[in-house]
Amino acid sequence: MAECIIETRGVTRSYGEICALKPLDLQVRDGEWLAVMGHSGSGKSTLLNLLGGLDRPDGGSLVVGGVDLATLGEDGLARFRRERVGIIFQQHHLIPHLSAVENVMMAQYFHSVPDEAEAKVALQRVGLGHRLRNRPGELSGGEQQRVCIARAIINSPRILLADEPTGNLDHASTVVVLELLSELRAEERFTIVMVTHNQEVASRGERTIFLDDGILVREELSGR
Amino acid sequence: MIAILKVITPLLCWGGMMLSLARGIGSGPTLLAGGCGALFLTGSLLPLLVPSPLLVVAFKGVTAAAFAILWLASIGGIHGAGGEARVGHAAGPLAGRGGAFLASLLAGAGVGCILVPAGGVAQPMALMAAAVAGVSLAVAGAFAGRFLPRWFAPSGTGLWALILALLLCIASSSPRLDLFSPLTMRVMKFIHDFVHQFFESMLLPDHPFIRPRVWEYIGILFSSGVGFWGGVVLFFAPVGFIATAIRLTPLPSVAHIRRGAERRLLMASYIRQRRHQQAAPILAAAVLSLAIYQSRFPSVDYWDPAPVKVTADAAGKILIPEKGEPEIGDGRMHKFVYSHGGTEARFFVLAKEDGEYAVTLDACSICKPEGYGQGESALICYYCKTLIPLDTVGKPGGCNPVPLPFRREKGGVAIDAPLLLRSWDETVQATAGGGGERR
Repeated sequence: MAECIIETRGVTRSYGEICALKPLDLQVRDGEWLAVMGHSGSGKSTLLNLLGGLDRPDGGSLVVGGVDLATLGEDGLARFRRERVGIIFQQHHLIPHLSAVENVMMAQYFHSVPDEAEAKVALQRVGLGHRLRNRPGELSGGEQQRVCIARAIINSPRILLADEPTGNLDHASTVVVLELLSELRAEERFTIVMVTHNQEVASRGERTIFLDDGILVREELSGR
Repeated sequence: MIAILKVITPLLCWGGMMLSLARGIGSGPTLLAGGCGALFLTGSLLPLLVPSPLLVVAFKGVTAAAFAILWLASIGGIHGAGGEARVGHAAGPLAGRGGAFLASLLAGAGVGCILVPAGGVAQPMALMAAAVAGVSLAVAGAFAGRFLPRWFAPSGTGLWALILALLLCIASSSPRLDLFSPLTMRVMKFIHDFVHQFFESMLLPDHPFIRPRVWEYIGILFSSGVGFWGGVVLFFAPVGFIATAIRLTPLPSVAHIRRGAERRLLMASYIRQRRHQQAAPILAAAVLSLAIYQSRFPSVDYWDPAPVKVTADAAGKILIPEKGEPEIGDGRMHKFVYSHGGTEARFFVLAKEDGEYAVTLDACSICKPEGYGQGESALICYYCKTLIPLDTVGKPGGCNPVPLPFRREKGGVAIDAPLLLRSWDETVQATAGGGGERR
């Protein structure tokens, strides 16, 4: 049994009077691919933001990669985000005036020091060796998402957080991105927590949890 | 109380030295506070045992020697920068403690000298108060060092550059100890002598058509800023070399680490460490700037009365009455100005301890005629900051004010006006271009 890499106990988060996440207990094993499903406003993205150190819980304990996020200050959280997690967003959030390789190098810069050769290799791994110098506006949605994946994995995170990574992609691109995530996970052995609306996408994971109104209502093991 | 005010800046420098040493040499705070505090105490009480002029000479000599060693070390650092890969090196424990103890003794001696007026006697109470303050700062600094940011860990030549800069800042708090002004004078003299010898060797064309042109350029070398900026360059060069050497030293190899992120993290840590190593020489440069500022604008109030206008009688005699306004026999310098034909010649009269008068120009034969102020037991040349002991005023040579012939008559001092004008004209012509004798 692999050790637990994410463990939440009674984690809550409210925005004003809206309780986005009610006391939540969750464990994720090291190397596991966990899918999070639920309708809009169920607390999926809130959970992901908490796991990624982008937000702080109002209460409860949140240990990610052996780090108790509640004990970290702003600098500690920034370091945690730099070194422990990689995040893929539905909207890509690439810098439009930088090329693909420069976008990847930007992640290296904030992590440590840029290394162009390594960034190129990362883009080649996601099948974009021929698009290194193209800017995001010159890439398709699927290609942009692959740049995001290269950017997310360039710093060898132990956990990859993906917020609807295929939400904006057509079926063919979705398959490419999911295959790529599978291959990279097999090579790098990182944990994936992926938020999605799509049952087919969720089925790529080993386990799926369902949130409703900020409460974990159900979980399923995938047949994969 | 006024005496204590004089040593506030030096004591702050001393506190800074202790903080830097606490982080730099890695000795236990108890040993550091005890050893350095005891040596500061010893140094600050030395004026009670050693004659002040001797102590001043010793302080300046040792500090100048340390500065020369720093110069050599900084050049050695540049020379060795291309070789061994490292991110900084700490001084060995023995060398570190030895350097710290010597610096403490010097700092104490510096503070002690500042409290003893030139030609005056040491005041035990003031020295004791400074010693106690210094020991307290030693203890506080040694223990406060642990609260400094972790990245501030000066080592090697960077640490010693910072310590020496703080010592030079202590020195510049007093014109007697200051090393920057003498350095600027030496630079000026060197350039002057060099040009002189160059011409003497007839290495420059001396053709009547070329000569005026050449002198236009040579004149630049005698401008007032050359000595100052030459001194600034000499002062800052070692810290510049040290910072450059740190920058040029190759970082350790990280090629053996296979995972890119780990490799880059380690490389980033080396780069960060190297950047932090440069904090010491940069701080040293800031402290040296303060030292130069103190040297140029000493916070000493000199007696400098406004010149009183005087006239000559038909025979060309200027008579300064002894019991007039001002009263010239009070042991203080009294300045006068005589105007004739567009020339304003400044001179002063000073009654010395032996009752004799000294009558001199308010200018010397080597500096720009910026005049003199009177401090405790000495005059100071405003231009080069040289201190002139009162008992040597009236004697020619060096930066002493140019003596004027005079007679004592009718209860006053009589000076020959044409002689005064001629002497003033000759002196100003020689020095107005900015220091150095006319070739």
